[in-house]
Amino acid sequence: MTNKLRAAPYIFLLPAVALIAVFVVYPILAVVYYSFTDYDIITPPVWVGFANFVHVFQDETFWLALTHSVIYLVATPILIGLSMTLAIVVNRKLRGIHLYRALYFVPAVSGSIAIGLSWRWLFDRNGIINSILQTVGLIHEPIQWLATPSLILPIAIMLTIWAGVGYYSVIFLAGLQNIPEELYDAARIDGCNDVQKHWYISIPGLRPQIVFVFVISSLAALKVFDEIYVLTQRTGGILDSGVTMVFYLWRQAFQLHHAGYASAIAIVLLAITLVFSIVNVRILERQDAEA
Amino acid sequence: MSALGVAESAGSAAEPAAVVDARAAKRRRQRRQLLGNAAWYAVLTLLALITVFPFLWMLLTSLKGPLDPIASVPPQLIPAHPTLANYEKVLASLPILKFFFNSITVAVVVCVLNVLVSAMAAYPLAKMRFFGRDAIFYLLLATLIVPAQLTYIPSFVLAVNTFHYYDTLPAVILPSLASAFNIFLMRQAFRGVPNDLIDAARVDGAGEWRVWWQILLPIVRPSMAAVAIFTFVTSWNDFLWPSLMLHTREGMTLPVGLAALQGFFSSDFRSIAAGVTMTVIPILLFFIVVQRHFVRGLAGAVKG
Repeated sequence: MTNKLRAAPYIFLLPAVALIAVFVVYPILAVVYYSFTDYDIITPPVWVGFANFVHVFQDETFWLALTHSVIYLVATPILIGLSMTLAIVVNRKLRGIHLYRALYFVPAVSGSIAIGLSWRWLFDRNGIINSILQTVGLIHEPIQWLATPSLILPIAIMLTIWAGVGYYSVIFLAGLQNIPEELYDAARIDGCNDVQKHWYISIPGLRPQIVFVFVISSLAALKVFDEIYVLTQRTGGILDSGVTMVFYLWRQAFQLHHAGYASAIAIVLLAITLVFSIVNVRILERQDAEA
Repeated sequence: MSALGVAESAGSAAEPAAVVDARAAKRRRQRRQLLGNAAWYAVLTLLALITVFPFLWMLLTSLKGPLDPIASVPPQLIPAHPTLANYEKVLASLPILKFFFNSITVAVVVCVLNVLVSAMAAYPLAKMRFFGRDAIFYLLLATLIVPAQLTYIPSFVLAVNTFHYYDTLPAVILPSLASAFNIFLMRQAFRGVPNDLIDAARVDGAGEWRVWWQILLPIVRPSMAAVAIFTFVTSWNDFLWPSLMLHTREGMTLPVGLAALQGFFSSDFRSIAAGVTMTVIPILLFFIVVQRHFVRGLAGAVKG
């Protein structure tokens, strides 16, 4: 390897850097500019200073959307707990275990719209959830699940968890298989039962995976859109009960054509994501220091 | 199973008693293990049912005839009058096959070009020293933090005013051709290749292109396969950006078409179920075929 200024590395990098410059870097700069303008995508943007940001912080729907997105973060610890448990359950040599592992992965590849549609009908007034609950006698009249403001967000979160468990458990499974078998043997000799074995060996051993899933799933939770779009049939739910930050951004930009205002929302979303990522990096660094 | 057991016991009559005893003990041990495993199988099957149930219900509902009730107490799961009429209806009213063709076009083009572009960019970042390398690498990493949805407003303006590809497939393909995440994964894979191998090839007179194409790419093929599958599935299921770009019905990808299906059939659940089933089955078959690579890719991504 030489330190000479050669053309080769730059030629290799050119296509990727050019694409990312056009489709990521330029849009970020543009969205910063738009956030200071009144812009409807059709007529040229008009500079309005900080007006959009003042509006954002006075906009009750924005605060509602922000609250919903923060509530959505509840999915993260549940996802970590359930997918780690599932990984421990499927981490054993049983005939046909590969088939089960593949089945748990089905929601991860089926696509959010197909999943969202099937759930939208599960919870329909005429859906099977109502049929089952009526059959066992828990309810007498069908419940309007998705027309009940307080239920939309919990159902969407359940959907996210249900769809994500199989996916994240694969990551935990890979981590479990890297933990040396001797550690478990030693624990058994020391008199650990099965639960203690996982508490003292599996969970500490899975720390890199826990951090990874925490970062990925919480960033995904902050960006939820597809589930809400399908479950509420593009409306955001009665009284905006299902509106999340990205959904609100989408509505402002592409339904109402308030692109300038939507850009300001995008900047706030970016700021929140940045803070989140910095916290994540700190956690990662602390982990490296301990390792 | 039973035929095998008969053959075995018939054969054992002629064998010494010790062998028969050992076999019986082995069988007892297996039976005990099987009983212990039965509990695990029960748990695994229950979990599998919870996972698959919504799809199963969609499949069964899509086969229901007009006389089979959607909602009833107790619920009717298996259609009493099974029919494929719902599928015919969906295929007749919406260009589902066209959606398929569009989705496959987008996913294949994105998958092939994205992997090539990412692998190209990853080579110098992993194996060369040059001015600005770290700056470029960290800039790429930083773009990972930015939510993609944030870029959609300017990208929309670009699509309409600059590239003039609004409502065409290139509008969905072009922005997905480079991914910082894939560059990062490919860089990790290249770093695992010994430098001696590359230096030896250079001494033999191989140019950078040949080193990349003939030495590096074949070695990292497992990682590349994982990245490719990951990219394919992500592109196949992508919804928000394609839904902003594609409006002519014949030009839609599957997820966008599915969302349109919901609007088109509104309360005709049997037809919607048929549409969902038709779109889920192909990607499931694809996943079953490539399953092992996908799992390995996911696992490798976290090791970092």
